[in-house]
Amino acid sequence: MRQAFIVTYDVRDPKRLRRVYRVLRGYGRHLQLSVFQCELDARERVELMAKLRKAVHHDEDQVLFVDIGPADGRGATSIESIGVAYVPEERRAIIV
Amino acid sequence: MVLADESELRSTDERGLADEGSVSEGPRPYVARSLWLSSEALGLTAKIDVVEGSEDGSVIPIEYKRGKAPEVPEGAYLPERAQLGAQVLLLREHGYICNAADIYFAGSKKRISIGIDDTLLTTVRDAVRRVRVLCSRTELPPPLEDSPKCDGCSLIGICLPDETNLLRKERSRADDAAPSALRRLHPARDDRLPLYVTEPGARIGVDGSELVVRGKEQTTRARLPNTSHVSLFGNVQISTQALRRLMEQGISVTFLSSGGWFYGRAEGIGSNNVDLRMAQHRAAADPATCLQLARAFVEAKIRNSRTMLRRNHDGIAQSVLFELEQLARKAAESERIESLLGLEGTAARVYFGAFSGMLRGEAARTFDLDGRNRRPPKDPVNALLSLAYATLARELTVALGNAGLDPLLGFYHRPRFGRPALALDMMEELRPVIADSVVLTALNTGVVGESDFLRHPVGVSLTPAARKRLLLAHERRMDQIVTHPVFGYQVSWRRMLEVQARLLGRFLLGEIPTYPQLRPR
Ligand code: SF4
Repeated sequence: MRQAFIVTYDVRDPKRLRRVYRVLRGYGRHLQLSVFQCELDARERVELMAKLRKAVHHDEDQVLFVDIGPADGRGATSIESIGVAYVPEERRAIIV
Repeated sequence: MVLADESELRSTDERGLADEGSVSEGPRPYVARSLWLSSEALGLTAKIDVVEGSEDGSVIPIEYKRGKAPEVPEGAYLPERAQLGAQVLLLREHGYICNAADIYFAGSKKRISIGIDDTLLTTVRDAVRRVRVLCSRTELPPPLEDSPKCDGCSLIGICLPDETNLLRKERSRADDAAPSALRRLHPARDDRLPLYVTEPGARIGVDGSELVVRGKEQTTRARLPNTSHVSLFGNVQISTQALRRLMEQGISVTFLSSGGWFYGRAEGIGSNNVDLRMAQHRAAADPATCLQLARAFVEAKIRNSRTMLRRNHDGIAQSVLFELEQLARKAAESERIESLLGLEGTAARVYFGAFSGMLRGEAARTFDLDGRNRRPPKDPVNALLSLAYATLARELTVALGNAGLDPLLGFYHRPRFGRPALALDMMEELRPVIADSVVLTALNTGVVGESDFLRHPVGVSLTPAARKRLLLAHERRMDQIVTHPVFGYQVSWRRMLEVQARLLGRFLLGEIPTYPQLRPR
């Protein structure tokens, strides 16, 4: 079962920044500048962390994972917004 | 195996490096880390955390454990000691002098020496032999009974321990017995969702971990880890890179005509289970097994059609329900597949004769159904039914393929070129409750209306936009959470089909005595 995470990053170099952004796109939704919301199972979490570990510079950059709870429980209800409304991602098949 | 934590993944990443580690380098005393050793003779492979060499030419393997050292006289529990015993055997096999082994417990920062004696080494050799014997058997060992170990086991969705044990015991389930409430140890629904590409000319490529679908007007992205399946309708292009990534990730791809006719499927080499395939072929060659399954499929289909009418048709005549009941009974006792075909045909005429009575509101005034017809469908309802059946057949083909079965080899439907006969078999019981239900909901809620149909001299077809809406309605149904009629827990329809495909496999392997019909009340 999946767990919801807020992933934020501070990356000092534009090339690495693009790489981090591209990796994260595969795993979650771009919520704000340098902030993603990802729903990950145990395997995906490990996979994502391993990919990010390769993409960042360990002395200059930082990526934070904030666990906000099970994706279909607290993780789905724990975000509140001020200003532009926060719309949870709809769970549905993609039909083009 | 699910990765327990990231250190395991890192170690696989570093495997390339570790392979080059060798004990003989460097001045003594020396240390080698992550040493991979294997031996055909012992039947063992190990990655040894650290090997320490000493002046006198002997070596000591050291195993790192995260936890604390246990309070036992031997210094560690048997599994850990056996692990080191195996490492000692391997080192000796590779020509090292090795008479000691240590465990470092990081939790208590203690290095403990493990006694290596003949008893331990014999235990290791015996365990290896037992595992080898188990691996060489073709049937799976029975699942554990009501074990807390199953909760969190990564094989749960394949093993289905509680489900299998229930069906092994209940040789004959009373017809209307309440569903047994089992622990649902697997997730209620699949986390991943399918991607359908129906727009002519759309091109699918891959960018990082995303699939990118470029259409005429817009570009759509789908995250690979979030994708369960990809269906391509009509003239859609997909790049080799994208296909390869999909194969790698074990995501199957189906190819269909723009109208939903099924051409085929591409899948990676991951999940084929040869023993299961052989069992399937044996069963298909055995008339008694074919008949047993065919009876189950047809009986369930007729009963499910009856349930649909009972639930959704306000003025249904008791005589119709009675007739379907009788036909279902006869199907359950039928001695020949040919007579099942007859019973199924009669039941379909009765059922579709009353089908229009399940339409409501505007739809009841606009649409009518004069029996089932196809290729090409002659009225809007038949056009919708055709697409809904094709979609369900594709869904089942994927589920059966994922369960390791050959979707082309059926028991009731005879194999014919390009026909997913087994998917059509399994579809019988599900047609009314999934496909018909999707069509009825779409019509009754106005998701599809009169203006969505194109009438040709030969028949009726759906506009592309309406086709997408029907696919979406199908997806909603598959994702809907319902009570499992046999196991009593809450699952999505899609998970239910996956479980059903695996249980069919269990039946074919002789692990459960009957194939459990899916009959929602
Ligand atoms: S789910 Fe199956 S494989 Fe996993 S622990 Fe239970 S019985 Fe063993």
